[in-house]
Order: sequence, then structure tokens, then C-alpha cells
Amino acid sequence: MTTIIYYLKSEYHRGITVEKLTKVRFSNLEKILFPQSQIRKAQVIEYYIRIAPKMLQYLKDRPLVTTRYPDGIDQKGFFEKNAPKGTPKWVKTFTKYSETTNRNLNYIVCNNLDTLLWLANLAALEIHIPLSKTESYQKPDLLLFDIDPEPPSSIDDAIQIAKILKEKLDNLSLKSYPKTSGKKGLHIIIPIIPKYSYKQTREFVHQIGKQLAKENELVVSEFSRSQDPGTVYIDYLQNSQGRTMVAPYSIRPQKDAPVSTPLAWEQLQKGLKPKEFNIFSVVAIEPNPWEGFWENKQKLDV
Amino acid sequence: MQEKAEPPKRSIWRGRISIGLVNVPVKLYTMIRDKSISFRYLHKHDGAPLKYQKVCTLDKEVVPWEDIIKGYQINENEFVVFSKEELEAIKPESDERIRIEKFVNLISIDPLYFDKSYILAPNKSEDAYSLMLTAFQKIGMAGVGKFTMKTKEHPVVIHEYKGSLILTTLRYANEIVYPLDLEELKNLPKPTTEELKLATKIIENLSADFDITEYKDGFREKVEKIIEKKRKGETIIPERPQKEEAKELMVALRETLNKLEQQ
Repeated sequence: MTTIIYYLKSEYHRGITVEKLTKVRFSNLEKILFPQSQIRKAQVIEYYIRIAPKMLQYLKDRPLVTTRYPDGIDQKGFFEKNAPKGTPKWVKTFTKYSETTNRNLNYIVCNNLDTLLWLANLAALEIHIPLSKTESYQKPDLLLFDIDPEPPSSIDDAIQIAKILKEKLDNLSLKSYPKTSGKKGLHIIIPIIPKYSYKQTREFVHQIGKQLAKENELVVSEFSRSQDPGTVYIDYLQNSQGRTMVAPYSIRPQKDAPVSTPLAWEQLQKGLKPKEFNIFSVVAIEPNPWEGFWENKQKLDV
Repeated sequence: MQEKAEPPKRSIWRGRISIGLVNVPVKLYTMIRDKSISFRYLHKHDGAPLKYQKVCTLDKEVVPWEDIIKGYQINENEFVVFSKEELEAIKPESDERIRIEKFVNLISIDPLYFDKSYILAPNKSEDAYSLMLTAFQKIGMAGVGKFTMKTKEHPVVIHEYKGSLILTTLRYANEIVYPLDLEELKNLPKPTTEELKLATKIIENLSADFDITEYKDGFREKVEKIIEKKRKGETIIPERPQKEEAKELMVALRETLNKLEQQ
């Protein structure tokens, strides 16, 4: 009984004060979303508030897919592509035919802080983006090397391979940007001019993967071998229409709320612990490791 | 100890009691304090209070005050419309007078006519008021008349009660339902003499003096107890950190909004 009056009072208190700064009406702020580390929804929202100035640029004009955990990460979350019932009018959506669900879906497009906070309030912990924008959906503006170590290979092995990959890309005069996946792998991303097809970007990533596999016995470049123990798989298949990657600065639904964190190449050193990049530590990373990302849309030699 | 209703701070009406040629300036105070528990409606998700809005049944839009007129409903979709001016013109005039027309025995008025009671207090007229009060006490009768408060004319009765004059508005005769118009009451059978004897005996055994303080609003008392418990419970839970947290969210929001503006 006591908690009910307390709950209403505190929520009301927030309702009137926070409301002036955002259209979002926060609810259930006390809800524990990460039971092992006792992280509440309020802390998740605060993270997204603080990271928004860095994060929003990677969400802009992209139809989002989210994974929501309204009852915390110990309960089964659910993928959400279609804008849920009760989506406010001010939330932008993008209607697109989804082949997997066989119908038109209204994807959420997050171009502002309010939408991001609205998603956070829905416990949409994980935010995934496609590699192309709504206006040029067939032409990706991002190229993704998804580096996935298969145990007993570790993040250290992934880092070693990422560095070899960087050298290769440097030799092709391509500037690349690394981020942790938030789990055990790394994502290496190249912003490109949106004029190539997914087939072209996919082929490009695959070719480089094949070269690396030839030069380094740790690396596998084919999906069929991606589960081989002690390897590092360079996944090129994600460069496909309708596929998504976890967005830079998205939370991952794991203990201690790790974040898929953009890093500078110098930060990728042996011994790096992706888990240490979480909602509390990531906001403090300065300067922005991916500074100037969008001024670097590059051409591919395909 | 019996809890008392709090006296009102302000009078709701000022005027004069007129009995023939005698006028006594008086103030009218509310006498009835409704003690029933009332709840506000809140939004389940954030606890914010809800408000009522007048919504057009046709276009579902909220209608501002200046666009509202009054209509008397005749049929489902038929109304006779009144303008503010029309209603103003026929409004009963408040001449600030309570006119006492005759004196009756208070118990000759059936209590079912009683509507609402108000306390009459002197308005810089202590001498005149005291004289009238004492006269009421002495004759033991109640004055009956009429007066207009706001826009409604009421029949009223004034009687003496615990050293004061009390005004009670009365219902109009046509506001009271005649009981024998109900089917169930039209053809009641007569009881037997034996039955009647037994019934009157029971009643006599239960006869007592009337004491209203024996009755209490149990629901209200229970709700008040729960409220008290909840409020005490609230102080046990550390509230400060919660407030701090709300503040933190606001601080973070402000900082971010500033940053975004600069981008």
C-alpha cells in the first residue's frame, strides 16, 4: 500500500517537472530493467538523454528496428519493427513493405531527442539501424565489417584482425571507424557515398574478407564456417537490404548495460574489455572518437 | 470526542430579514459541511490529475466558453435555445431580503421539505438580532417566508437553535414525490391485531432519545485510516534520492537540449 502512494507522488512530481523539457511522459521510472546490476529505467533514460547529442546523427532518417524489454532483460524481449499502438502523432514513421512479415510496416524514424526518449521510455533498449537511409533505401551509405570471434577466440583476437583490416583499408585510402558490438565482437564501419547497390557493398566486404582469410589462418570469410571454434568470422552478409546493425551507442540487453561504443583506433588495444563500455562510462568519452564521420563519405573502387 | 464541523470563514450572502416593517441586517453562513471522502481522478501511468473538458459530440473538438450556449432538451436531437440575455431578463431579482410572512410550529413542517440549513448572524445589528432571537425563543414558533439566493427563489423557514437563528431552505411541493403514486404502496393489506401488538411492543422497547453522534461514516473513517497509514509509510521510504533522481533527469535534459541547440 505504501508504495502506491509513493509511486504516484514521485511520478507526478516528475510528470509536471520533466514534461516541460520533453513531450515524453515518462512512466515506471523505478522499474528495474537490469536486475543483476539493479539498473532502473530512469538510468536508461538518463543515458539516452546524455548520449543523444552524439547518437542521434546515426539514427537520423533511418527506419529503426528495436528490441524492447518492458519487464527487464531477464524476461524475453521482443523485436519491434512496426510503430506500436499508441505511438504519438509527433513520432515520424516510414512506411515500407517488409518481406519477412509480408506486409507494409510503419517503421519508427528517430530524428530528434523526444523520439529517442520516447523509445527509451518504452524500454526499447536495443536500437538497430539499416545501412541505408529512407530516401535512398536501395543504396547504402554505410559499409559494415562485422568481426565476430568464435570461442576460444576472444575480443583480443578480434582486435588483432580489426587492426590488420584497418591497414588494408588504409592502403585502399578508405577511412574506417571501429565500434564494439557491445557483446564479444567489433564493427568496422566505412561511411560511403550512397550510390552503390547492396550487392556491390556486400561483394566488396566479402572480397576483403576472403583476402584476409587467405593471409591469416584465424580469419574465416564464409558463413558456413562462422561457427568454427577458435576463428574470427568477418560477416559480410549484413550488407543487405532489410538487414540491420546495432546502432552506435545502442545499449545491449546484458548484465551491466553494455553499449555498442564508437572508439578511436588507438583505443583498440589488447586487453580491451567491451563490458567496461556501459551506460555509465560511455557518456564520459571525450573527444568524440568518430568526429567528422559524415564529412568522410567515401567512394569505393568496385 | 465528537469531531466538529469547522465554522466557515466567510458569509455567502448578506441582506435583511423583514418581518412586517421591521428589518434586521443579517449575514448567511453555510451550516452543512459535506464530509464524504472525495477522490481525484489521476492518470494511471504518471499520476497527473485529470481535468474535464467540454467536447463537441459532433466534431469531438474541445469547445471554448465563449462558444457555449444553453439549450433546453425537448427530444433527443431537439433543443430550445436560450441566450444569456433572455435568461438574465427573467431571472428572479434578489432584493436582499428574507421576507417572513407568517409563523408556524416548526414540527408542523414535515422534515422531508427541508433542503439546506444556513446560520443567520447579525450584520452590525447585534441589538436588533438579539431582540428578534429572544422573541423567537419566547414564542417557540418558526417564521416562514421566502428569499432569493443567486438566481433561485426558495421558500424558507427560520427557527431558533442553540442561541442562534437558523434559516432552512424548503423544497417546493412539486419537488416531492407522492408516495402512494408507487404501485407497491397502493393496496397494502391490514395487519392482524396480534401482529400489531407484537410490532408496537418491539418499537416501544427500542424507544430512546435521538442522538445523531451515535452514527458515523464508517467508509470515510476507514479511508482516512488507510490514507494516514500510507502517508506514514511514505516517510519510511527515502524520498530524497528519488527527488534527486528526477532533478538529475532534468539537469541532463537541459544540458542535452543546450548541446543540441549548438549543433
